[in-house]
Amino acid sequence: MLAFILRRIASLIPVLAVALLVTFAAIHALPGDPVQVMLSDHSADKEMAARLRAEYGLDRPLPAQFVAYLGEIASGRFGLSFRYVHQPVADVLRDGLAISPLLAVAALAMALLIGIPAGVYAAIRRNRWQDTLLILLLVAGLSIPNFAVATFLVYALSVKLAALPVAGWGTWRQAILPVLVLAIPAGAYLARLTRTFMLEVLGQDFIRTARAKGLGPRLVIWRHAFRNTLLPLATSAGVIFGGLLSHTVVVETIFNIPGLGRLAIDSIFARDYPVAMAVVLLFVLFYAGINLLVDLFYLVIDPRVREGMGA
Amino acid sequence: MRQLLRQRGGVIGLVIVVLVLAVALFGPLLAPQQFDATDLLNAWAPPDAINPLGTDKLGRDIASRLIVGAQVSLTVGLSVVLITLVVGVSAGMLAGFLGGAADRLIMGTVDIVLAFPEVVLAILLAAILGPGIATVIAALSLVWWPGIARLTRSLVLVQREEAYVQAAIVCGSTTAKILWRHILPNIAAPLLVRASVGIGFIIMAEATLSFLGLGVQEPVPSWGGMIRDGLPVLRSDPMLAVSSSVVIGLTIIGFNLLGDGLRDALDPRLRGR
Repeated sequence: MLAFILRRIASLIPVLAVALLVTFAAIHALPGDPVQVMLSDHSADKEMAARLRAEYGLDRPLPAQFVAYLGEIASGRFGLSFRYVHQPVADVLRDGLAISPLLAVAALAMALLIGIPAGVYAAIRRNRWQDTLLILLLVAGLSIPNFAVATFLVYALSVKLAALPVAGWGTWRQAILPVLVLAIPAGAYLARLTRTFMLEVLGQDFIRTARAKGLGPRLVIWRHAFRNTLLPLATSAGVIFGGLLSHTVVVETIFNIPGLGRLAIDSIFARDYPVAMAVVLLFVLFYAGINLLVDLFYLVIDPRVREGMGA
Repeated sequence: MRQLLRQRGGVIGLVIVVLVLAVALFGPLLAPQQFDATDLLNAWAPPDAINPLGTDKLGRDIASRLIVGAQVSLTVGLSVVLITLVVGVSAGMLAGFLGGAADRLIMGTVDIVLAFPEVVLAILLAAILGPGIATVIAALSLVWWPGIARLTRSLVLVQREEAYVQAAIVCGSTTAKILWRHILPNIAAPLLVRASVGIGFIIMAEATLSFLGLGVQEPVPSWGGMIRDGLPVLRSDPMLAVSSSVVIGLTIIGFNLLGDGLRDALDPRLRGR
Protein backbone atom coordinates (compact mmCIF):
# COMPACT_ATOMS: atom_id res chain seq x y z
CA MET A 1 0.00 0.00 0.00
CA LEU A 2 2.79 2.41 0.93
CA ALA A 3 4.63 1.45 -2.25
CA PHE A 4 1.53 2.22 -4.27
CA ILE A 5 1.17 5.65 -2.67
CA LEU A 6 4.82 6.46 -3.29
CA ARG A 7 4.60 5.30 -6.91
CA ARG A 8 1.49 7.38 -7.40
CA ILE A 9 3.20 10.48 -5.97
CA ALA A 10 6.29 9.86 -8.08
CA SER A 11 4.16 9.73 -11.23
CA LEU A 12 2.86 13.20 -10.36
CA ILE A 13 6.30 14.78 -10.26
CA PRO A 14 6.99 15.11 -14.02
CA VAL A 15 3.51 16.51 -14.64
CA LEU A 16 3.87 19.01 -11.80
CA ALA A 17 7.36 19.98 -12.96
CA VAL A 18 6.16 20.74 -16.48
CA ALA A 19 3.09 22.52 -15.09
CA LEU A 20 5.47 24.69 -13.06
CA LEU A 21 7.55 25.48 -16.14
CA VAL A 22 4.44 26.23 -18.23
CA THR A 23 3.02 28.50 -15.53
CA PHE A 24 6.34 30.34 -15.22
CA ALA A 25 6.54 30.87 -18.98
CA ALA A 26 2.87 31.84 -19.18
CA ILE A 27 3.06 34.38 -16.38
CA HIS A 28 6.15 35.96 -17.92
CA ALA A 29 4.31 36.18 -21.24
CA LEU A 30 1.61 38.36 -19.66
CA PRO A 31 1.59 41.80 -21.29
CA GLY A 32 2.89 44.87 -19.43
CA ASP A 33 6.01 45.78 -17.44
CA PRO A 34 5.47 45.24 -13.70
CA VAL A 35 8.27 47.64 -12.74
CA GLN A 36 6.48 50.46 -14.58
CA VAL A 37 3.29 49.59 -12.68
CA MET A 38 5.16 49.60 -9.36
CA LEU A 39 6.80 52.95 -10.09
CA SER A 40 3.56 54.57 -11.29
CA ASP A 41 4.30 58.25 -10.52
CA HIS A 42 8.06 57.83 -10.60
CA SER A 43 8.17 56.11 -13.98
CA ALA A 44 10.91 58.46 -15.21
CA ASP A 45 13.20 57.54 -12.29
CA LYS A 46 15.73 55.24 -14.01
CA GLU A 47 17.77 54.60 -10.87
CA MET A 48 14.78 53.49 -8.85
CA ALA A 49 13.62 51.26 -11.70
CA ALA A 50 17.05 49.61 -11.84
CA ARG A 51 17.06 49.09 -8.07
CA LEU A 52 13.60 47.48 -8.14
CA ARG A 53 14.59 45.30 -11.09
CA ALA A 54 17.63 44.09 -9.13
CA GLU A 55 15.63 43.47 -5.94
CA TYR A 56 13.11 41.35 -7.87
CA GLY A 57 15.78 39.67 -9.99
CA LEU A 58 14.07 40.93 -13.16
CA ASP A 59 17.42 42.05 -14.60
CA ARG A 60 18.63 38.46 -14.83
CA PRO A 61 18.03 36.11 -17.77
CA LEU A 62 14.81 34.04 -17.62
CA PRO A 63 16.49 30.66 -16.89
CA ALA A 64 18.29 32.23 -13.91
CA GLN A 65 14.98 33.74 -12.75
CA PHE A 66 13.41 30.29 -13.00
CA VAL A 67 16.12 28.69 -10.85
CA ALA A 68 15.79 31.51 -8.32
CA TYR A 69 12.02 30.94 -8.31
CA LEU A 70 12.50 27.24 -7.54
CA GLY A 71 14.54 28.29 -4.51
CA GLU A 72 11.77 30.67 -3.47
CA ILE A 73 9.21 27.84 -3.69
CA ALA A 74 11.44 25.56 -1.63
CA SER A 75 11.74 28.25 1.03
CA GLY A 76 7.95 28.65 1.03
CA ARG A 77 8.08 32.40 0.29
CA PHE A 78 7.11 32.16 -3.40
CA GLY A 79 9.05 35.33 -4.20
CA LEU A 80 8.12 38.96 -3.58
CA SER A 81 4.77 40.49 -4.49
CA PHE A 82 4.81 43.28 -7.08
CA ARG A 83 1.70 45.02 -5.82
CA TYR A 84 2.51 44.91 -2.10
CA VAL A 85 6.09 46.00 -2.66
CA HIS A 86 8.77 44.14 -0.61
CA GLN A 87 6.21 41.68 0.83
CA PRO A 88 6.73 37.93 0.30
CA VAL A 89 3.92 36.30 -1.71
CA ALA A 90 3.34 33.79 1.11
CA ASP A 91 2.29 36.67 3.40
CA VAL A 92 -0.12 38.02 0.78
CA LEU A 93 -1.68 34.57 0.35
CA ARG A 94 -1.87 33.61 4.01
CA ASP A 95 -5.23 35.23 4.83
CA GLY A 96 -7.05 33.82 1.81
CA LEU A 97 -5.41 30.41 1.74
CA ALA A 98 -8.08 28.50 3.67
CA ILE A 99 -11.12 30.30 2.24
CA SER A 100 -11.33 28.69 -1.22
CA PRO A 101 -10.89 25.08 -0.01
CA LEU A 102 -13.35 25.80 2.80
CA LEU A 103 -15.97 27.08 0.35
CA ALA A 104 -15.39 24.08 -1.91
CA VAL A 105 -15.67 21.56 0.96
CA ALA A 106 -18.87 23.15 2.26
CA ALA A 107 -20.33 23.18 -1.26
CA LEU A 108 -19.37 19.54 -1.85
CA ALA A 109 -21.02 18.53 1.44
CA MET A 110 -24.19 20.39 0.46
CA ALA A 111 -24.12 18.90 -3.04
CA LEU A 112 -23.75 15.37 -1.67
CA LEU A 113 -26.53 15.86 0.89
CA ILE A 114 -28.99 17.11 -1.75
CA GLY A 115 -27.79 15.38 -4.89
CA ILE A 116 -27.55 11.77 -3.74
CA PRO A 117 -31.03 11.45 -2.17
CA ALA A 118 -32.50 13.28 -5.18
CA GLY A 119 -30.78 10.88 -7.58
CA VAL A 120 -31.87 7.79 -5.66
CA TYR A 121 -35.44 9.12 -5.48
CA ALA A 122 -35.51 9.80 -9.24
CA ALA A 123 -34.21 6.28 -9.93
CA ILE A 124 -36.93 4.70 -7.77
CA ARG A 125 -39.63 6.79 -9.45
CA ARG A 126 -38.17 6.20 -12.90
CA ASN A 127 -40.30 7.47 -15.80
CA ARG A 128 -43.01 8.80 -13.49
CA TRP A 129 -43.74 12.49 -13.23
CA GLN A 130 -41.50 12.94 -10.17
CA ASP A 131 -38.57 11.61 -12.21
CA THR A 132 -39.32 13.83 -15.22
CA LEU A 133 -39.67 16.91 -13.03
CA LEU A 134 -36.38 16.17 -11.25
CA ILE A 135 -34.55 15.61 -14.55
CA LEU A 136 -35.74 18.98 -15.85
CA LEU A 137 -34.60 20.66 -12.63
CA LEU A 138 -31.22 18.94 -12.88
CA VAL A 139 -30.65 20.05 -16.48
CA ALA A 140 -31.48 23.60 -15.44
CA GLY A 141 -29.16 23.38 -12.42
CA LEU A 142 -26.34 22.14 -14.62
CA SER A 143 -26.92 24.61 -17.45
CA ILE A 144 -27.38 27.98 -15.81
CA PRO A 145 -23.93 29.53 -15.20
CA ASN A 146 -23.14 30.11 -11.54
CA PHE A 147 -22.97 33.88 -11.90
CA ALA A 148 -26.45 33.85 -13.43
CA VAL A 149 -27.72 31.67 -10.55
CA ALA A 150 -26.07 34.14 -8.19
CA THR A 151 -27.89 37.01 -9.91
CA PHE A 152 -31.28 35.33 -9.36
CA LEU A 153 -30.56 34.35 -5.76
CA VAL A 154 -29.17 37.73 -4.77
CA TYR A 155 -32.11 39.45 -6.44
CA ALA A 156 -34.72 37.22 -4.81
CA LEU A 157 -33.22 36.57 -1.37
CA SER A 158 -31.12 39.66 -0.68
CA VAL A 159 -32.75 42.48 -2.63
CA LYS A 160 -36.44 41.54 -2.60
CA LEU A 161 -36.73 39.61 0.67
CA ALA A 162 -33.70 41.14 2.42
CA ALA A 163 -33.19 37.74 4.06
CA LEU A 164 -29.44 37.43 3.42
CA PRO A 165 -26.52 39.82 2.96
CA VAL A 166 -25.69 40.72 -0.67
CA ALA A 167 -21.95 40.14 -0.37
CA GLY A 168 -18.98 40.15 1.98
CA TRP A 169 -17.20 37.64 4.19
CA GLY A 170 -16.92 37.02 7.90
CA THR A 171 -20.27 35.81 9.25
CA TRP A 172 -21.93 32.48 8.52
CA ARG A 173 -24.90 34.26 6.96
CA GLN A 174 -22.58 35.73 4.35
CA ALA A 175 -21.37 32.23 3.47
CA ILE A 176 -24.82 30.77 2.69
CA LEU A 177 -25.32 32.25 -0.79
CA PRO A 178 -21.78 31.58 -2.11
CA VAL A 179 -21.89 27.96 -0.92
CA LEU A 180 -25.37 27.49 -2.37
CA VAL A 181 -24.32 28.97 -5.74
CA LEU A 182 -21.35 26.61 -5.86
CA ALA A 183 -23.38 23.60 -4.72
CA ILE A 184 -26.27 23.85 -7.22
CA PRO A 185 -24.50 22.66 -10.41
CA ALA A 186 -22.42 20.16 -8.43
CA GLY A 187 -25.52 18.75 -6.74
CA ALA A 188 -27.37 18.52 -10.04
CA TYR A 189 -24.45 16.67 -11.61
CA LEU A 190 -24.21 14.27 -8.65
CA ALA A 191 -27.95 13.60 -8.72
CA ARG A 192 -27.80 12.75 -12.40
CA LEU A 193 -24.88 10.39 -11.89
CA THR A 194 -26.55 8.75 -8.89
CA ARG A 195 -29.71 8.19 -10.92
CA THR A 196 -27.78 6.59 -13.80
CA PHE A 197 -25.71 4.36 -11.51
CA MET A 198 -28.76 3.34 -9.48
CA LEU A 199 -30.74 2.42 -12.61
CA GLU A 200 -27.81 0.27 -13.72
CA VAL A 201 -27.55 -1.56 -10.39
CA LEU A 202 -31.30 -1.92 -9.92
CA GLY A 203 -31.50 -3.89 -13.17
CA GLN A 204 -29.09 -6.57 -11.96
CA ASP A 205 -29.87 -10.08 -10.81
CA PHE A 206 -28.81 -9.78 -7.19
CA ILE A 207 -31.38 -7.04 -6.68
CA ARG A 208 -34.11 -9.33 -7.99
CA THR A 209 -32.80 -12.03 -5.64
CA ALA A 210 -32.90 -9.67 -2.69
CA ARG A 211 -36.44 -8.63 -3.55
CA ALA A 212 -37.49 -12.26 -4.02
CA LYS A 213 -36.08 -13.10 -0.59
CA GLY A 214 -38.70 -10.70 0.73
CA LEU A 215 -36.40 -7.94 1.89
CA GLY A 216 -38.07 -4.56 2.39
CA PRO A 217 -37.64 -1.90 -0.28
CA ARG A 218 -35.58 0.34 2.00
CA LEU A 219 -33.07 -2.44 2.71
CA VAL A 220 -32.81 -3.41 -0.97
CA ILE A 221 -32.30 0.16 -2.14
CA TRP A 222 -29.82 1.41 0.45
CA ARG A 223 -28.00 -1.77 1.53
CA HIS A 224 -27.85 -3.62 -1.77
CA ALA A 225 -28.20 -1.12 -4.60
CA PHE A 226 -26.83 2.16 -3.25
CA ARG A 227 -23.67 0.57 -1.82
CA ASN A 228 -22.65 -0.50 -5.29
CA THR A 229 -22.85 3.04 -6.62
CA LEU A 230 -20.36 4.33 -4.02
CA LEU A 231 -17.24 3.56 -6.02
CA PRO A 232 -18.15 5.42 -9.24
CA LEU A 233 -19.65 8.21 -7.12
CA ALA A 234 -16.38 8.61 -5.22
CA THR A 235 -14.45 9.11 -8.46
CA SER A 236 -16.95 11.70 -9.59
CA ALA A 237 -16.88 13.47 -6.24
CA GLY A 238 -13.15 13.98 -6.75
CA VAL A 239 -13.66 15.51 -10.18
CA ILE A 240 -16.49 17.66 -8.84
CA PHE A 241 -14.35 18.93 -5.98
CA GLY A 242 -11.71 20.04 -8.46
CA GLY A 243 -14.36 21.89 -10.45
CA LEU A 244 -15.78 23.49 -7.29
CA LEU A 245 -12.34 24.69 -6.29
CA SER A 246 -11.74 26.45 -9.59
CA HIS A 247 -15.25 27.93 -9.63
CA THR A 248 -14.50 29.65 -6.32
CA VAL A 249 -12.69 32.15 -8.58
CA VAL A 250 -16.05 33.28 -9.97
CA VAL A 251 -18.02 33.06 -6.74
CA GLU A 252 -15.41 34.96 -4.73
CA THR A 253 -15.48 37.72 -7.35
CA ILE A 254 -19.29 37.96 -7.25
CA PHE A 255 -19.60 37.98 -3.47
CA ASN A 256 -16.44 39.97 -2.78
CA ILE A 257 -14.80 37.21 -0.72
CA PRO A 258 -11.07 37.64 0.00
CA GLY A 259 -10.03 34.10 -1.03
CA LEU A 260 -7.38 32.73 -3.38
CA GLY A 261 -9.61 32.90 -6.45
CA ARG A 262 -10.34 36.60 -6.22
CA LEU A 263 -6.69 37.17 -5.40
CA ALA A 264 -5.77 35.43 -8.67
CA ILE A 265 -8.06 37.68 -10.72
CA ASP A 266 -7.01 40.84 -8.87
CA SER A 267 -3.32 40.06 -9.25
CA ILE A 268 -3.68 39.30 -12.97
CA PHE A 269 -5.29 42.70 -13.49
CA ALA A 270 -2.73 44.40 -11.24
CA ARG A 271 0.14 42.62 -13.06
CA ASP A 272 1.23 41.10 -9.75
CA TYR A 273 2.74 38.06 -11.49
CA PRO A 274 4.36 36.34 -8.49
CA VAL A 275 1.02 36.23 -6.66
CA ALA A 276 -0.90 35.06 -9.75
CA MET A 277 1.68 32.35 -10.35
CA ALA A 278 1.59 31.10 -6.76
CA VAL A 279 -2.21 30.89 -6.83
CA VAL A 280 -2.23 28.94 -10.11
CA LEU A 281 0.40 26.54 -8.72
CA LEU A 282 -1.58 26.07 -5.52
CA PHE A 283 -4.69 25.23 -7.55
CA VAL A 284 -2.72 22.66 -9.59
CA LEU A 285 -1.39 21.15 -6.34
CA PHE A 286 -4.85 21.00 -4.75
CA TYR A 287 -6.14 19.38 -7.91
CA ALA A 288 -3.41 16.73 -7.92
CA GLY A 289 -3.93 16.13 -4.20
CA ILE A 290 -7.64 15.50 -4.69
CA ASN A 291 -7.02 12.94 -7.42
CA LEU A 292 -4.50 11.20 -5.17
CA LEU A 293 -7.05 11.07 -2.35
CA VAL A 294 -9.65 9.56 -4.68
CA ASP A 295 -7.20 6.82 -5.67
CA LEU A 296 -6.50 6.09 -2.01
CA PHE A 297 -10.22 5.97 -1.31
CA TYR A 298 -10.45 3.22 -3.96
CA LEU A 299 -7.96 1.17 -2.01
CA VAL A 300 -9.93 1.53 1.18
CA ILE A 301 -13.36 0.87 -0.29
CA ASP A 302 -12.71 -1.80 -2.93
CA PRO A 303 -10.90 -5.00 -1.96
CA ARG A 304 -10.53 -5.93 -5.65
CA VAL A 305 -8.26 -2.94 -6.28
CA ARG A 306 -6.26 -3.78 -3.16
CA GLU A 307 -5.62 -7.33 -4.28
CA GLY A 308 -4.89 -6.41 -7.87
CA MET A 309 -2.12 -4.15 -6.59
CA GLY A 310 -0.08 -6.88 -5.01
CA ALA A 311 0.16 -8.79 -8.28
CA MET B 1 -33.23 12.12 -36.47
CA ARG B 2 -36.41 10.12 -35.98
CA GLN B 3 -34.90 8.71 -32.78
CA LEU B 4 -34.09 12.22 -31.63
CA LEU B 5 -37.65 13.42 -32.21
CA ARG B 6 -38.89 10.64 -29.92
CA GLN B 7 -37.09 12.24 -26.98
CA ARG B 8 -39.25 14.95 -25.46
CA GLY B 9 -36.28 16.76 -23.92
CA GLY B 10 -34.31 16.55 -27.15
CA VAL B 11 -37.17 18.20 -29.06
CA ILE B 12 -37.39 21.05 -26.55
CA GLY B 13 -33.63 21.48 -26.83
CA LEU B 14 -33.77 21.45 -30.63
CA VAL B 15 -36.47 24.14 -30.62
CA ILE B 16 -34.47 26.39 -28.28
CA VAL B 17 -31.25 25.90 -30.27
CA VAL B 18 -32.96 26.63 -33.61
CA LEU B 19 -34.53 29.75 -32.07
CA VAL B 20 -31.20 31.02 -30.77
CA LEU B 21 -29.54 30.28 -34.10
CA ALA B 22 -32.30 32.16 -35.93
CA VAL B 23 -31.94 35.14 -33.61
CA ALA B 24 -28.19 35.19 -34.14
CA LEU B 25 -28.54 34.95 -37.93
CA PHE B 26 -31.49 37.23 -38.57
CA GLY B 27 -31.69 39.09 -35.26
CA PRO B 28 -29.68 42.12 -36.37
CA LEU B 29 -32.47 42.77 -38.88
CA LEU B 30 -35.07 42.59 -36.10
CA ALA B 31 -33.06 44.44 -33.46
CA PRO B 32 -35.06 47.49 -32.38
CA GLN B 33 -31.99 49.73 -32.04
CA GLN B 34 -28.31 49.96 -32.95
CA PHE B 35 -26.53 47.82 -30.31
CA ASP B 36 -23.81 50.41 -29.66
CA ALA B 37 -25.86 53.58 -29.99
CA THR B 38 -25.41 55.43 -26.70
CA ASP B 39 -27.91 57.89 -25.25
CA LEU B 40 -26.62 59.07 -21.88
CA LEU B 41 -29.74 61.10 -21.15
CA ASN B 42 -31.74 57.89 -21.38
CA ALA B 43 -29.51 55.64 -19.21
CA TRP B 44 -31.14 52.85 -17.16
CA ALA B 45 -34.50 53.56 -18.79
CA PRO B 46 -37.29 51.11 -17.88
CA PRO B 47 -38.82 48.98 -20.67
CA ASP B 48 -41.01 50.93 -23.14
CA ALA B 49 -42.06 50.80 -26.79
CA ILE B 50 -38.66 51.93 -28.11
CA ASN B 51 -36.48 49.84 -25.76
CA PRO B 52 -38.47 46.65 -25.06
CA LEU B 53 -36.12 45.63 -22.21
CA GLY B 54 -34.96 49.10 -21.20
CA THR B 55 -31.44 50.50 -21.50
CA ASP B 56 -28.06 50.08 -19.76
CA LYS B 57 -25.72 52.57 -18.09
CA LEU B 58 -24.88 54.24 -21.41
CA GLY B 59 -28.48 54.27 -22.59
CA ARG B 60 -27.91 51.42 -25.06
CA ASP B 61 -30.86 49.18 -25.92
CA ILE B 62 -30.64 45.95 -23.85
CA ALA B 63 -32.72 43.85 -26.27
CA SER B 64 -30.49 44.73 -29.21
CA ARG B 65 -27.38 43.97 -27.18
CA LEU B 66 -28.78 40.57 -26.17
CA ILE B 67 -29.32 39.74 -29.86
CA VAL B 68 -25.78 40.69 -30.85
CA GLY B 69 -24.59 38.83 -27.73
CA ALA B 70 -26.19 35.68 -29.19
CA GLN B 71 -23.96 36.06 -32.26
CA VAL B 72 -20.89 36.37 -30.06
CA SER B 73 -21.77 33.35 -27.89
CA LEU B 74 -22.57 31.11 -30.85
CA THR B 75 -19.50 32.20 -32.81
CA VAL B 76 -17.29 31.28 -29.87
CA GLY B 77 -19.19 28.06 -29.06
CA LEU B 78 -19.23 26.70 -32.62
CA SER B 79 -15.65 27.77 -33.45
CA VAL B 80 -14.21 26.17 -30.33
CA VAL B 81 -16.12 22.94 -30.91
CA LEU B 82 -14.92 22.76 -34.52
CA ILE B 83 -11.30 23.54 -33.66
CA THR B 84 -11.15 21.14 -30.71
CA LEU B 85 -12.81 18.39 -32.77
CA VAL B 86 -10.25 18.71 -35.56
CA VAL B 87 -7.25 18.99 -33.23
CA GLY B 88 -8.45 16.57 -30.54
CA VAL B 89 -9.65 13.85 -32.92
CA SER B 90 -6.47 14.02 -35.03
CA ALA B 91 -4.22 13.89 -31.97
CA GLY B 92 -6.26 11.16 -30.30
CA MET B 93 -6.38 8.99 -33.45
CA LEU B 94 -2.63 9.28 -34.00
CA ALA B 95 -1.87 8.50 -30.35
CA GLY B 96 -4.23 5.54 -30.24
CA PHE B 97 -3.31 4.04 -33.61
CA LEU B 98 0.44 4.63 -33.74
CA GLY B 99 1.22 3.99 -30.06
CA GLY B 100 4.85 4.19 -28.98
CA ALA B 101 6.66 7.52 -28.92
CA ALA B 102 3.85 9.44 -30.66
CA ASP B 103 1.39 8.15 -28.06
CA ARG B 104 3.66 9.12 -25.16
CA LEU B 105 4.29 12.60 -26.57
CA ILE B 106 0.64 13.38 -27.29
CA MET B 107 -0.77 11.91 -24.09
CA GLY B 108 2.01 13.54 -22.04
CA THR B 109 0.89 16.92 -23.40
CA VAL B 110 -2.72 16.03 -22.66
CA ASP B 111 -1.88 15.06 -19.06
CA ILE B 112 -0.10 18.35 -18.46
CA VAL B 113 -3.00 20.44 -19.76
CA LEU B 114 -5.44 18.37 -17.70
CA ALA B 115 -3.32 18.93 -14.57
CA PHE B 116 -4.67 22.51 -14.54
CA PRO B 117 -8.22 23.15 -13.37
CA GLU B 118 -10.17 24.17 -16.53
CA VAL B 119 -11.42 27.54 -15.35
CA VAL B 120 -8.06 28.58 -13.94
CA LEU B 121 -6.21 27.64 -17.13
CA ALA B 122 -8.76 29.46 -19.29
CA ILE B 123 -8.36 32.58 -17.16
CA LEU B 124 -4.57 32.39 -17.35
CA LEU B 125 -4.57 31.92 -21.14
CA ALA B 126 -7.14 34.66 -21.71
CA ALA B 127 -5.05 37.03 -19.60
CA ILE B 128 -1.91 36.26 -21.63
CA LEU B 129 -3.54 36.43 -25.04
CA GLY B 130 -5.37 39.64 -24.23
CA PRO B 131 -9.06 40.43 -24.63
CA GLY B 132 -11.16 39.86 -27.76
CA ILE B 133 -13.28 37.21 -29.48
CA ALA B 134 -10.36 35.59 -31.33
CA THR B 135 -8.28 35.18 -28.18
CA VAL B 136 -11.23 33.78 -26.22
CA ILE B 137 -11.65 31.17 -28.96
CA ALA B 138 -7.92 30.37 -28.83
CA ALA B 139 -7.83 30.13 -25.02
CA LEU B 140 -10.89 27.88 -24.79
CA SER B 141 -9.65 25.66 -27.64
CA LEU B 142 -6.36 25.13 -25.82
CA VAL B 143 -8.24 24.10 -22.70
CA TRP B 144 -10.75 21.86 -24.48
CA TRP B 145 -8.87 19.72 -27.01
CA PRO B 146 -7.17 17.32 -24.52
CA GLY B 147 -10.49 15.92 -23.29
CA ILE B 148 -11.53 15.11 -26.86
CA ALA B 149 -8.09 13.66 -27.65
CA ARG B 150 -8.31 11.34 -24.64
CA LEU B 151 -11.82 10.16 -25.58
CA THR B 152 -10.78 9.61 -29.21
CA ARG B 153 -7.71 7.64 -28.18
CA SER B 154 -9.72 5.28 -25.99
CA LEU B 155 -12.23 4.74 -28.81
CA VAL B 156 -9.44 4.06 -31.33
CA LEU B 157 -7.74 1.57 -29.01
CA VAL B 158 -10.90 -0.56 -29.08
CA GLN B 159 -11.35 -0.30 -32.85
CA ARG B 160 -7.70 -1.08 -33.62
CA GLU B 161 -8.16 -4.68 -32.47
CA GLU B 162 -11.23 -5.23 -34.68
CA ALA B 163 -10.92 -7.56 -37.63
CA TYR B 164 -11.78 -4.93 -40.23
CA VAL B 165 -8.87 -2.73 -39.15
CA GLN B 166 -6.47 -5.68 -39.07
CA ALA B 167 -7.68 -6.62 -42.56
CA ALA B 168 -7.06 -3.09 -43.82
CA ILE B 169 -3.55 -3.15 -42.37
CA VAL B 170 -2.83 -6.51 -44.03
CA CYS B 171 -4.14 -5.19 -47.34
CA GLY B 172 -1.51 -2.46 -47.14
CA SER B 173 -3.79 0.56 -46.72
CA THR B 174 -1.99 3.72 -45.64
CA THR B 175 -2.38 4.84 -42.04
CA ALA B 176 -4.16 8.00 -43.16
CA LYS B 177 -6.67 5.98 -45.18
CA ILE B 178 -7.33 3.53 -42.35
CA LEU B 179 -7.90 6.34 -39.85
CA TRP B 180 -10.03 8.50 -42.15
CA ARG B 181 -12.04 5.92 -44.08
CA HIS B 182 -12.32 3.00 -41.70
CA ILE B 183 -11.94 4.07 -38.08
CA LEU B 184 -13.42 7.59 -38.05
CA PRO B 185 -16.91 6.58 -39.23
CA ASN B 186 -17.02 3.96 -36.48
CA ILE B 187 -16.18 6.36 -33.67
CA ALA B 188 -18.10 9.37 -34.99
CA ALA B 189 -21.27 8.89 -32.91
CA PRO B 190 -19.79 9.27 -29.40
CA LEU B 191 -17.61 12.16 -30.63
CA LEU B 192 -20.66 13.93 -32.02
CA VAL B 193 -22.47 13.56 -28.71
CA ARG B 194 -19.44 14.87 -26.85
CA ALA B 195 -19.27 17.88 -29.19
CA SER B 196 -22.95 18.75 -28.85
CA VAL B 197 -22.83 18.58 -25.06
CA GLY B 198 -19.62 20.61 -25.21
CA ILE B 199 -21.17 23.63 -26.95
CA GLY B 200 -23.26 24.47 -23.90
CA PHE B 201 -20.27 24.31 -21.60
CA ILE B 202 -18.11 26.36 -23.97
CA ILE B 203 -20.77 29.07 -24.16
CA MET B 204 -20.79 29.01 -20.36
CA ALA B 205 -16.99 29.31 -20.25
CA GLU B 206 -17.01 32.25 -22.66
CA ALA B 207 -19.63 33.98 -20.51
CA THR B 208 -17.53 33.29 -17.41
CA LEU B 209 -14.45 34.88 -18.96
CA SER B 210 -16.44 37.89 -20.11
CA PHE B 211 -18.06 38.10 -16.69
CA LEU B 212 -14.61 38.27 -15.09
CA GLY B 213 -13.60 40.97 -17.58
CA LEU B 214 -11.15 38.74 -19.45
CA GLY B 215 -13.26 37.90 -22.49
CA VAL B 216 -15.07 39.88 -25.15
CA GLN B 217 -14.61 43.62 -24.60
CA GLU B 218 -16.77 46.72 -25.02
CA PRO B 219 -18.43 47.91 -27.15
CA VAL B 220 -19.10 44.37 -28.41
CA PRO B 221 -21.76 42.95 -26.08
CA SER B 222 -21.48 39.53 -24.47
CA TRP B 223 -24.00 37.97 -22.12
CA GLY B 224 -21.42 37.41 -19.39
CA GLY B 225 -20.24 41.01 -19.56
CA MET B 226 -23.84 42.26 -19.45
CA ILE B 227 -24.47 40.31 -16.23
CA ARG B 228 -21.32 41.82 -14.73
CA ASP B 229 -22.52 45.33 -15.65
CA GLY B 230 -25.95 44.60 -14.20
CA LEU B 231 -24.93 43.06 -10.86
CA PRO B 232 -23.93 46.27 -9.02
CA VAL B 233 -27.25 47.92 -9.86
CA LEU B 234 -29.41 44.86 -9.16
CA ARG B 235 -31.31 46.78 -6.49
CA SER B 236 -32.34 49.74 -8.66
CA ASP B 237 -32.27 48.41 -12.25
CA PRO B 238 -32.52 44.60 -12.24
CA MET B 239 -33.56 44.36 -15.93
CA LEU B 240 -30.04 44.11 -17.42
CA ALA B 241 -28.66 41.34 -15.16
CA VAL B 242 -31.90 39.37 -14.97
CA SER B 243 -32.70 39.41 -18.70
CA SER B 244 -29.17 38.40 -19.71
CA SER B 245 -29.18 35.65 -17.05
CA VAL B 246 -32.45 34.27 -18.42
CA VAL B 247 -31.20 34.31 -22.01
CA ILE B 248 -27.89 32.60 -21.28
CA GLY B 249 -29.53 30.04 -18.98
CA LEU B 250 -32.13 29.12 -21.60
CA THR B 251 -29.55 28.84 -24.38
CA ILE B 252 -27.31 26.47 -22.44
CA ILE B 253 -30.31 24.42 -21.28
CA GLY B 254 -31.26 24.12 -24.97
CA PHE B 255 -27.84 22.85 -26.02
CA ASN B 256 -27.65 20.42 -23.10
CA LEU B 257 -31.14 18.99 -23.73
CA LEU B 258 -30.24 18.58 -27.41
CA GLY B 259 -26.97 16.86 -26.48
CA ASP B 260 -28.72 14.50 -24.05
CA GLY B 261 -31.38 13.71 -26.66
CA LEU B 262 -28.71 13.05 -29.26
CA ARG B 263 -26.87 10.72 -26.87
CA ASP B 264 -30.00 8.74 -26.09
CA ALA B 265 -30.92 8.58 -29.79
CA LEU B 266 -27.48 7.41 -30.89
CA ASP B 267 -26.96 4.91 -28.08
CA PRO B 268 -29.07 1.84 -28.78
CA ARG B 269 -28.58 0.57 -25.22
CA LEU B 270 -30.52 3.53 -23.84
CA ARG B 271 -33.49 3.18 -26.17
CA GLY B 272 -36.81 2.39 -24.58
CA ARG B 273 -35.68 3.68 -21.20
